[in-house]
Amino acid sequence: MSLAISAPSSRAWLAGLVSHAALIVLTLLLAYLALRAPNFLDAQNLTAILRQSAPLAILACGLSVVVIGGGDDVVSGGIDLSLPAAAVLGAGIISYQLSVAGSGLGTALLFGLPAVLAVGAANSLLVVGIGLTPLLATLATSVAVSGLTKLITSNRRINVSNRAIDWVRDGDIGGIPASMLLALLVFAGLAFLVHRTRWGAHLQAIGASRAVASLTGLPTRKSVALSYGLAAAAAAVAAIAILARGSGSSPGSEEPLLLEMVLATFLGGAFSRRRIVTVWGALLGAVLVTALSTGFALLQVNIFWVSGIKGGLILLVLVAAALDERLRR
Amino acid sequence: MTAFALPRFVAPLLRHSLILILIALLVFFSIQAPAFTAPTNLLTILESSAVLLIVALAMTLIIASGGIDLSVGVAIDFGAVFALIALKDFGAPWYVAIFAALAGAALVGAFNALLIVGLGIRPFLATLGTFFIGSSIQRIYTDGGGPIAFRRMEQGFRDLAAGNIAGIPMEIVIAAVVLVGYYLLLERTNFGQRVHAIGLQPRAARVAGIRVGRHVAVVFILAAASCALGGVILAATLRQFTPLAGQSYLLDAIAATFIGASIHPRLRPNVPGTLLGVLFLGVVANGLNLLGLDFNLKSALSGLILVGALALAGLRGRAG
Amino acid sequence: MPLPLAAASLAPGLTLAMTGIVKTFPGVRALDAADLDIRAGEIHGLVGENGAGKSTIIKILGGVYARDAGDILANGEVLAGGAAADMHAIGIRIIHQELNLVDHFTVAESVFLGQERTDRFGGLAKRRMRREAEAFLRDVLECPLDGQTLIRDLGIAERKLVQIAAALIDGKARLVVFDEPTAPLAAAETGRLFNAIRNLKARGVSILYVSHYLGEIVDICDRVTVFRNGRHVAVLDAPNPTRTDEIITWMIGRQLDDLYPAAAVRTADGIEAEPSFAVERLGDGRSFADVSFSLAKGEIFGIAGLIGSGRDELVDGLYGLRPPATGRVTRAGRPIRLDPALAVQSGLVLVPRDRRRDGLVLDLAVTDNINLASLDEVSTAGFRRERRANARATRLADLLDIRPRSVGTRAGLLSGGNQQKVVLGRWLAAEAEIFLLDEPTIGVDIGARAEIYRLVRELADGGATVIVSSGDAAELIGLCDRIAVLVRGKLVEIVRCGEISVDGLIARTTDAAGQRVAS
Repeated sequence: MSLAISAPSSRAWLAGLVSHAALIVLTLLLAYLALRAPNFLDAQNLTAILRQSAPLAILACGLSVVVIGGGDDVVSGGIDLSLPAAAVLGAGIISYQLSVAGSGLGTALLFGLPAVLAVGAANSLLVVGIGLTPLLATLATSVAVSGLTKLITSNRRINVSNRAIDWVRDGDIGGIPASMLLALLVFAGLAFLVHRTRWGAHLQAIGASRAVASLTGLPTRKSVALSYGLAAAAAAVAAIAILARGSGSSPGSEEPLLLEMVLATFLGGAFSRRRIVTVWGALLGAVLVTALSTGFALLQVNIFWVSGIKGGLILLVLVAAALDERLRR
Repeated sequence: MTAFALPRFVAPLLRHSLILILIALLVFFSIQAPAFTAPTNLLTILESSAVLLIVALAMTLIIASGGIDLSVGVAIDFGAVFALIALKDFGAPWYVAIFAALAGAALVGAFNALLIVGLGIRPFLATLGTFFIGSSIQRIYTDGGGPIAFRRMEQGFRDLAAGNIAGIPMEIVIAAVVLVGYYLLLERTNFGQRVHAIGLQPRAARVAGIRVGRHVAVVFILAAASCALGGVILAATLRQFTPLAGQSYLLDAIAATFIGASIHPRLRPNVPGTLLGVLFLGVVANGLNLLGLDFNLKSALSGLILVGALALAGLRGRAG
Repeated sequence: MPLPLAAASLAPGLTLAMTGIVKTFPGVRALDAADLDIRAGEIHGLVGENGAGKSTIIKILGGVYARDAGDILANGEVLAGGAAADMHAIGIRIIHQELNLVDHFTVAESVFLGQERTDRFGGLAKRRMRREAEAFLRDVLECPLDGQTLIRDLGIAERKLVQIAAALIDGKARLVVFDEPTAPLAAAETGRLFNAIRNLKARGVSILYVSHYLGEIVDICDRVTVFRNGRHVAVLDAPNPTRTDEIITWMIGRQLDDLYPAAAVRTADGIEAEPSFAVERLGDGRSFADVSFSLAKGEIFGIAGLIGSGRDELVDGLYGLRPPATGRVTRAGRPIRLDPALAVQSGLVLVPRDRRRDGLVLDLAVTDNINLASLDEVSTAGFRRERRANARATRLADLLDIRPRSVGTRAGLLSGGNQQKVVLGRWLAAEAEIFLLDEPTIGVDIGARAEIYRLVRELADGGATVIVSSGDAAELIGLCDRIAVLVRGKLVEIVRCGEISVDGLIARTTDAAGQRVAS
C-alpha cells in the first residue's frame, strides 16, 4: 500500500520553470545586453567588468561563509552586514598611513589589515559569545566601524599613489586583471575551506541544521565564530581592492557595496544545484551583478533604474525560491 | 548554546544597566557641558528625537510581530513626497496632504505585506527588495536624487514642524500622539495582544484561531503609514523633499527597539522601552554635540556606545 | 586511522548484559532495576507501553543519560564509564527515530558527516567517500544508491538506510539499536529495511529492535524482552505470531482502575441518524487516505494508532493546520472549509499534542492564554478590559482547579497538567462545541489526568462532541464511546468500547496479525 500520489506532468514542468526562473531571467537580461549594448562583449569591456567587480566579489565570498555557517534565514541565521564597512575602514587606514602619515606600504598594511580582522573578532564575540542575533550585532558594528573610518579619514577623500596599489588597479597577469586575481585567490581559499575540508563540511551541516549538527557531535560555536573571522579576512583583502579601484579611500563607499553584497550572495544560491548559498555562487553572482550595472550603463539606461532592477531581481529570486519550496511539498 | 557563566550579582546590575548608564551620561554631560541642562536644550533633545521616535515605534510594532522592516526609510520618503505632491501640484490643504502621505506610505507597507504574507518571503529580504525598488523610484522621480524644494508652503502644513501648541513644538506633540497611540495599540488592545502572541509563538497563535497572515499584513501597512508622519515632519521642517532621507533612521530605529527590549523583564519589544531607547540615543547625540567634539569623533563615539549598549542588552538576556 | 572498505567487514557482534539498571528523574523512576541481555549476532526485540522505560534504556545505551545504578557487561567485561564516547567505543550505534539528515547534503556527505575521509593534503576525499558509501549501501544494506543524490530527492525508506549507513560505515558497529525504525515507512518500504537488518545479522552484528509494531517484532526478532513500569517482566524465546497475545498481556499486566469516569449516557445507536460532524474519504496524499466517520453530539470518539499510523496528520488535517488533499468534512450536513481560524469561529477547537509549542504562548500570563481565542468578549471596542478578562480567567481557573490560582502567572511556569487545563479553559471560554484532543494526557501527572478525564466526560454529557487521539490504548478504552483504529494511514475499523479489551485494541493497532507485511 503506497499513499504517494504522482504529480501530474504539467506540474513538474511548472516546477522546473519556477526553480530556474531567476536563472532564466538573468540569462535573458544578459543576452539582451549582449545583443543591444554596444561593445558589451568586447574584451575590453569584459576586462573592465572583472576589474570593477573585484571588491564586491571578495566581500560576497566572505559573506557566503557566514551565511553557510549560520543558516540562510537572514534574521536568525548567519549574516555579516559589517563587511563593507570593515573593508572601507581598512582602505581608510591604509590610505591615511600612505598619504597622510607617509609610511611605507608594509607599515600601512600592518596597521590596516589587523583592524579589519578586529572587526571580525568583535562580531564573533557579539554573536557567539554574547548571543546577539547576527543581523543586529553586525549592523551595530557596521555603524561603529563607519564612525571610526570617519574619525581616521576626517571624513575626507584621501588619494593614494603607490606603485603596488596602482598595479593592483591596472596590472594583469596573463591577461587576468590583478584585482580579479586577488578575488580569485580569496575565492579559492574560502571555497577550499568550505567545500573541500572537514571543517567546511561541518560548517555546512551546522548552518543547515543545528539539531543535526549537535546530534552528530559537531563543535558549533567554534565553527561559527571562525566563519566571522574568515569573512573579516576576506574583507581585509577587499580593503586593498577597494583602495586600488578608487586610487584611495572615499567616505561612504561602503553603502552601495552593502546591498549589492547581499544581493550577489543570495543570487548565487540560485545557481547551485542544491539551492543553497555557496562560495562560487557568490563569486558568480558578484560578477553578474556588476555586468548588469555595466551593461545598463552602456545602454545609457537611466542609472536610477538600475537599483530598481536589482531590487526586482532579488525579489524574483526569493519568490522563485518560496514557490519552489511550496511546489516541492 | 551555552556561553560563559556570569557571577550572580551581575544579573540585577545588567537588568538596570541601561538606566544606570543613561543616568551616568546625564550627570556626565551636565557637568562637562553646563548648557546641557538648560530647558531649551532639553526641548531640543525631544524635538530632534521626534521623527526617530515615530519610526522606532513603527519598528517596535513590527519586531513585536516577529518581523523586521528595512524599508521604513522608503515609507518615510514616500510620506514626504506624497504630501509635497498634494500640496504643490494639487494645491491641497494641509490635512489632505497628511492623508496623501499616509496613503503613499501605506502603499509601501502593502507591497511588503504582499511579499511577506502573500508570497512567503522572509521579512528581511522582502523589505530589502522593497528598499531597493523604493530608492530607485525616488531617484527616477527626482532625476538623480536632488531635493525638490517648495518654498511657498501653505502655513498650515509648515506649522506641522514650525508651530507649537501651548509652547510645545508641534513635532513633539505629533510624536507624543503617535507614542500614546502605539502604547494603546500594543499594550491595551486585542489587536496588540494577538500581535504579541504571533511574535512569540506563531504556531500557537494559529492554533488559537488567530489569522496570523492577516495580522502581519496589517502590522506592516500600519507601521509604514505611521512612518509617513515622520516624512511629513521632515518635509515641513525643510520645506522640501529630500530623496533617501528616511534611510538614516533605519538603524537607530532598530537599535532603539532592541535597547528598549532589554529593559523588559522578558526582553520583549515594548513602547515605553522604545521611548527610553530613543531618548538614550538622543541624549548621546546631543551631549556629544555640546561637548564641542569634532563631528567625526562624535560619530565614532556614538557608534561605539551603540555597540556597547547592545552588548549589554545581550548580556542581560543571557543573565535572564 | 585504519580504513577498511567497510562494506565487506563488520566487527563481530557484541554480547551485552545490563543488570539492575536504575534511572530516576525528579518525581519519576523511569528504570527500576531493569535487566536486558543481548546475545552476539541476534535480533533482540524490546517492547513495552509508553512510559515503560524503553527510551530511557536506549538513551543509557547511547550515553545520553548516565545510569544511577546497575552494571553493564560488554562481552563479559564490566563497563566502567557510560558516556557517549564510551558507548561508541565498544561499538554501540543508535539509529534514532528521527531522521537526522540535512536535506541538501548528498548521500555520501550524509553518510560521512562527522567522520569524513581526508586525502594527504587535508582536503576531503570526495570520490573515495562516494565509492565507499555506495559500496556499503549496496553490499550491506542492499540499497544501490548514487552517492551524489541529494537527501531531499530520496524516499523515506532510503533516507532511513542512509541514516543506518552513517552509523555503520566505520565498520566498528557491534550492536545496533533501532528505535521505531519503521514508523515513517509505508508497508512496501519496511521490507527493504528488514532485508537490511537481516543482512546485518548475517554478518554477525547484534541488533536491538525497539518497536510498537508487534507484527514486526515477532516477524524479525529472535528473542523479545518486555518492559513494564521501568522493569523487564518477561523474555520470550522464538516469538511467533501465535504468541502476540502473550506479549500484550505482559505489556499491560494491570487492570483498568477507576481513573475513568462512567458515562452518564452511553450513546449507542442513533449516531448515524443525527451526525454533528462527519468526515468523508479524507486523505492528505501521503500519511492517511480514505478516512470516513461520523459523530453525534455527546459522543467521545477515539482515534487509535501508533507512530506512523497517520493519526497526527489526520488531527492536523481536521483542524486545517495541514489542509487535506482529498475528501471533505461536514458539520450538520454542510461542508466546511478546513482552516484553524474558521474552525474556532464555528466551535471546532484543538488541544494540540505539543502544548508547549502549539498550545500555549508560554511567555504570556494564564489569563491572556485563556482569553486569547475570545478576546472580543472581554473587551470594549477592541480595547482590553483587564478586570473583565481577569474575572473570566479566574472563574475558569477555579472551575478547572488550575494551580497556582493567580492568573497573572506566566503559562510557561505551570506544570504539564495545569498547562493542559489552561488550553481547555481557553476553549471553554470560546464556547466550543467540538473538541479535538490530541494526546491530552502526555506529560500530565496521574491526579490531573483523572481530572481531565472527568472534564472530558462532562463536556460530552453537556452535548459537546469530543475526538480523542491517543497512543494510550487504556485511555481510549476508558474514555471513549467508539474508537477508530488507524494502521498505516488506513482506518481499518471502528470498534465500540464495550466490545473490546485493551489487549484487543493493542492487537489491532500494533498490527499483531502482521497483515501489513503480508499485504
